[in-house]
Amino acid sequence: MAVLGRQPTDKAKSLYEPEPAEVVSVEKLTDLENVYALQLASGHPLGHLPGQFVQLALLGIGECPISICSSPTRPNTFELCVRRVGEVTEHIHRLREGDTIGVRGPLGNGFDVHELHGKDILIVAGGLGLAPVRSLIQYILDERARFGQFHLLYGARSPGELLFRNDLTLWRERDDVNFHMTVDRPDEQWRGRSGVVTTLFSEVPRLEPGETQVVIVGPPVMFKFVVLEVLARRIHQRNIFCSLERRMKCGVGKCGHCQANNVYVCLEGPVFRYGELKALREAIE
Amino acid sequence: MLDRVVSQSQLLALVDELALSRRIVGPVRRSDRHFYGPVDRADKLDLDFKYCVYSPKAALFPADQTLFEFQTGPDGFQTSPVYDESPLALVGVHPCDINAIRLLDRVFSNTNIDEHYLSRRRQTFIVGIDCPTPCTSGVFCRDMKANEAREGADIMCSPLPPNGVSDDVRYGVVFGTDAGREFVLYSHAGDPPTVDDERASERYISDKARAFPQSIPYDVDALPELLERSYDSLLWEATARRCYSCGSCNLSCPTCYCFNTYDRLEMTLTSGTRQREWDGCQLRSFAVVAGDHNFRAKAAARLRHRIYRKAKWVKEREGVAGCVGCARCDRACTAKISSVEIYNQLAEEV
Repeated sequence: MAVLGRQPTDKAKSLYEPEPAEVVSVEKLTDLENVYALQLASGHPLGHLPGQFVQLALLGIGECPISICSSPTRPNTFELCVRRVGEVTEHIHRLREGDTIGVRGPLGNGFDVHELHGKDILIVAGGLGLAPVRSLIQYILDERARFGQFHLLYGARSPGELLFRNDLTLWRERDDVNFHMTVDRPDEQWRGRSGVVTTLFSEVPRLEPGETQVVIVGPPVMFKFVVLEVLARRIHQRNIFCSLERRMKCGVGKCGHCQANNVYVCLEGPVFRYGELKALREAIE
Repeated sequence: MLDRVVSQSQLLALVDELALSRRIVGPVRRSDRHFYGPVDRADKLDLDFKYCVYSPKAALFPADQTLFEFQTGPDGFQTSPVYDESPLALVGVHPCDINAIRLLDRVFSNTNIDEHYLSRRRQTFIVGIDCPTPCTSGVFCRDMKANEAREGADIMCSPLPPNGVSDDVRYGVVFGTDAGREFVLYSHAGDPPTVDDERASERYISDKARAFPQSIPYDVDALPELLERSYDSLLWEATARRCYSCGSCNLSCPTCYCFNTYDRLEMTLTSGTRQREWDGCQLRSFAVVAGDHNFRAKAAARLRHRIYRKAKWVKEREGVAGCVGCARCDRACTAKISSVEIYNQLAEEV
């Protein structure tokens, strides 16, 4: 075994050691979600691709995987949308500006933006799925000239669960993105559309099958119905992408927690082509 | 071809020589069973053991291991990785477990290099002892092509018949690495093999080929394909009805390497460690994600996952078989679920 004879190249570094990052700002999005802008203490940009994730560590409490929700085109800080659902995220929600947190990453494959360049783009996000895909949305908007038409559909369960409200306003005002959103369960103040996200497809004009790349990120139940709509528009299966959620412990392809059959989501994902997922049982079941 | 012939007492003397500079882990007897355990002297080892209840995996990949230490303060935190580089010798490792170590070597060195494993592994000298016959009933190491280990050990010792001069057990030694060769030759232990020794060794090999029964009625190279067609078999649910999801199979497996991580905090709340501990895919919560969705909520899905890992997926990913046929999972199972029985039943499905 060649590697056994090889001396370690970077003795000081462990795969599992986080590096310190400073909380630059905290913004409350909903009752459950905050978005944190972080900056590595080293001063270096994170150097990520849209769609990648980090392992976020509070030393003494633990670590959890969080997708990066800002674009590398905005390199001064990187943003993480954290839903308060467990012990680690509960503690993360107590962080204030100026606090330090541990970060490992970027991890995972991310979106291949070069493959998206020059194409029309349709992004469909559901619920917390907006967070990972926001990195790509920002990227497209920042590099707008590199892309053709841009359609963006977003569905949330209720008005109170809408994420990134400032962005939503911004996207609605821009005329270079065809943005529509809906909620499943409107309340009395809600003036927007209601219904599941697939109802927004009426707002999407004819798509050019060979020229359109589609990204779908949301809960498993949404995925199938959106894929159906997209396939009905004759989009090629290889041009449909999706990002999976798993609870990675190591993030480096060892610990086994993120496996879907023989795929380590932390290594081969979290972004997959629909064609790959179709053949991969347990991926979205 | 043998490289050297040593008697058992000479082999023990070699282990004592190793013990001058290394920790020794080898087979020790506890009541009527054997375990790999630490010893300071070779005569505390029992080289006439049949098998050890657990593999020596824990010496390389401890059940609970510190990955790094941390200190937190008002200005942030510092971490420093923890690597164990104290020299170690694993003595009396059987071919199944040597093959299992080869898999671990692969897993922890591919794509992302895990220094926590490799720093130990680089400092580990392995004295393999070959098995002339199955160590106990129920093993299927021959079927898994793991009852021989041509590589992985630094020296591999096969028991030869007595030569009439002394009653001491004699071993034919094959050097597996340069380190093994140098160690044995510099210590001048044993003798070069004679023509009779070579003949005895050839006889040993042919006797061994007959001594191991075939337990699975097909070549295991066909297993991945068989499993490919059995994903939706009722066998998983039928077998998993008995499963308690206790994880004993994972615990006893020499090739299981999945783990969990957790933090240990000192009473001061300002320092602690990040640990990793063995985890098991058969435990209910293994595939749970945020919001409590469980991607393998049913015992049947977890059982299928384990068997697919052992017989198909690990081989496909790593190029090294995920199961070595030691049958420790079968012996450890609290519900008497037998993987070899599953492999047999799969054959009847096609």
